[in-house]
Amino acid sequence: MRPIQSASHDPTATEPHLVDIRLREVVELVRINLPTDQMEPLLERGLLPGCQLCQVRQSPSGDPIVMVDGTLLAIRREVARCLCVRRPGSNGA
Amino acid sequence: MAPLSDPSCHPGAGDVALPADRPNAEITPIVALVGPPNSGKSTLFNQLTGLRQKVANYPGVTVEKHIGTARLPDHRALQLVDLPGTNGFAARSMDERVTRDVLEGRVRGLRAPDALVLIVDSTRLETQLMLVEPTLKLGIPTLLVLNMADELEQRGGAVRDDDLAEQLGVNVVRTNARAGDGLDQIRDFLIGVADRGLLPPRPGPALSNIVTGTPLPMVDQFTERRRRIQEIGRAAGFVLPRGSQLTEQLDGLFLHRIWGPLIFLAVVVLVFQSIFTWAVPLMDGVQILVAGSGAWMAEWLPESWIRALLIDGVWAGVGSVVVFLPQILVLFLFLGLLEDSGYMARAAVIADRTMYRVGLQGRAFLPLLSGYACAIPAILAARTVEDERDRLATIFVTPFMTCSARLPVYALLIAAFIPERQLVGPFLGTRAATLLGLYILGALTAIATAALLRRTLLRGQRDSFFMELPPYRIPSVRSIALRLYDRSRIFLRRAGTIILAVAIVLWFLTQVPQSGGAPPSIDDSFIGQMGQMIEPVLRPLGFDWTIGVGLISALAAREVIIGTMGTLYRVEDPTQGSLQLQDALRSHLDLGAAVGLLVFFAFALQCMSTVAVMRRETAGWKWPILQFSYMLTLAYGFAFFANWLI
Repeated sequence: MRPIQSASHDPTATEPHLVDIRLREVVELVRINLPTDQMEPLLERGLLPGCQLCQVRQSPSGDPIVMVDGTLLAIRREVARCLCVRRPGSNGA
Repeated sequence: MAPLSDPSCHPGAGDVALPADRPNAEITPIVALVGPPNSGKSTLFNQLTGLRQKVANYPGVTVEKHIGTARLPDHRALQLVDLPGTNGFAARSMDERVTRDVLEGRVRGLRAPDALVLIVDSTRLETQLMLVEPTLKLGIPTLLVLNMADELEQRGGAVRDDDLAEQLGVNVVRTNARAGDGLDQIRDFLIGVADRGLLPPRPGPALSNIVTGTPLPMVDQFTERRRRIQEIGRAAGFVLPRGSQLTEQLDGLFLHRIWGPLIFLAVVVLVFQSIFTWAVPLMDGVQILVAGSGAWMAEWLPESWIRALLIDGVWAGVGSVVVFLPQILVLFLFLGLLEDSGYMARAAVIADRTMYRVGLQGRAFLPLLSGYACAIPAILAARTVEDERDRLATIFVTPFMTCSARLPVYALLIAAFIPERQLVGPFLGTRAATLLGLYILGALTAIATAALLRRTLLRGQRDSFFMELPPYRIPSVRSIALRLYDRSRIFLRRAGTIILAVAIVLWFLTQVPQSGGAPPSIDDSFIGQMGQMIEPVLRPLGFDWTIGVGLISALAAREVIIGTMGTLYRVEDPTQGSLQLQDALRSHLDLGAAVGLLVFFAFALQCMSTVAVMRRETAGWKWPILQFSYMLTLAYGFAFFANWLI
């Protein structure tokens, strides 16, 4: 999967986005760059700042499938580009 | 004619009888079943009430409240309300609004519940418990059910129920609803509810995801709640189970970049080929039964008009339709296996990019797929689509998905006009390929129409799609068998009501006006005269008046056309020994007109029940009228084109 230049989506952020992370790497969700109404359903399903998530595979069309707290969620890469994450052990906000 | 408000295709798809309809003496406590989607509420509801609401292994199966009676061991009764699953109380979609309204006591004729059973999938306890806090705010007796406890244990997860109960301040039980384990403990809770009786009327509580009046933004409120839940989980010794090994392996295959789409295609081809191969021996069996019963009747009934009515009218009409039961069952066997195994959600993921390009919500895919059974539950299922314009676009295109009522019509015409030849070895024959082509034609038209709508009448922004992928589960034989049994009952009930009634009325219309005590020739009968009045409209499509009468009778339900043709052609030529409908059709239609008729059925909205449900779900006549006209125009246009081309 090609890495996306995350900076173009959120010039203030230095964190990687979910699309930049390798398969199977466990990361922590830092922030969701989506309007509130689009964010709320994600929050309800446990995809909220502080949670651990891991992209377990890609769908045939290249969209990420992530595991959050025992739930498999298929999300679109457009959404994955809005999820700022942090690798464990890295310093940051 | 079908009762207009009765979605007769699907059990339990319609409105439910509310307790308010019953005498006051029977007012009993109401217990609502709440929980996140796909946590097993309907399975539990079915176990406790003995009813059979549809259950399957994907989120969003239940979209309407369903009420049933649970009998306690001491013969007292309680009303159980099964609710659409919800992850929170923002009530963005119609099905979530149903749940919120019931819990808040805002549904006319239904008191607010006296107790709650909160059902969660224990394998992902922490996420699911996010629902606990807002639910407990309702302040009514609540039982927490940790469902799928068997899976939790098998996959090495753990939780201490007692500690969890203490932390949350509610009783906790474990169940495996599919197997019926743990039901007694739920009944104990229900006995307690019955002992307490009704709760006094109270001011309606308001459910919400967030606490208004606090300075915390929504995200922080969620993270706070999540932190509290995690603390509770820790105190109760919750251990997250390992991922399902089976799911991991199967997803590696079904969601593989190359194998995934290929398997998807293979599954589809297998379904259609089976409809024409597996079903054949069964169909032959039913055919022998039907023909035998007809011959038996003919032999034993004395020569009279009643004999003519029974054989030429009823037997020819109803019998012609009943022989298609096996094909319907093969289709539903596959749909059941795909839905209960968890594959459907994967199919939705594979198809999501296409949906995205045309501007439909990915979430719309599952309702659209359920349209292969019947448009009515599919239109209801579109309630899970959050954006109103997306939902309208979804339900507008749903009737293009090939519902099971079209299947007998397709099967009959294909068998009559398409010679069987192998296309891809033994895997795909010409007939199955034609059938597949008709399904693809419907699906492509649905997609094109959706794209058109999203660029014209229903413009809107694209959503942030995501879909929960449930773990794969082995479909239970019992659940599949019950589905097939229910489906047979629905099919035979329709044959015994609508199709029977149409056959009787038609037969009488072929017998008048009599001259000198003898029935007229069919062309001079009332039905013949009526048919000939509409024939000029249908001539350009290559249809004669008998097909015209068939099309009009099919407005009651699509498969009625087969019964109509059965009756008309039998009266026309009573020497037909058996149900030789195919021969009769060949003498009335040429190939071009037959293809035209297939295409007409692919497009036309020949189903008044669908129109009625559209009116209800869109709260007005605008959309159903638009939909009916649009589909009729397409049907006429393409049938004309087919007839002209071939």
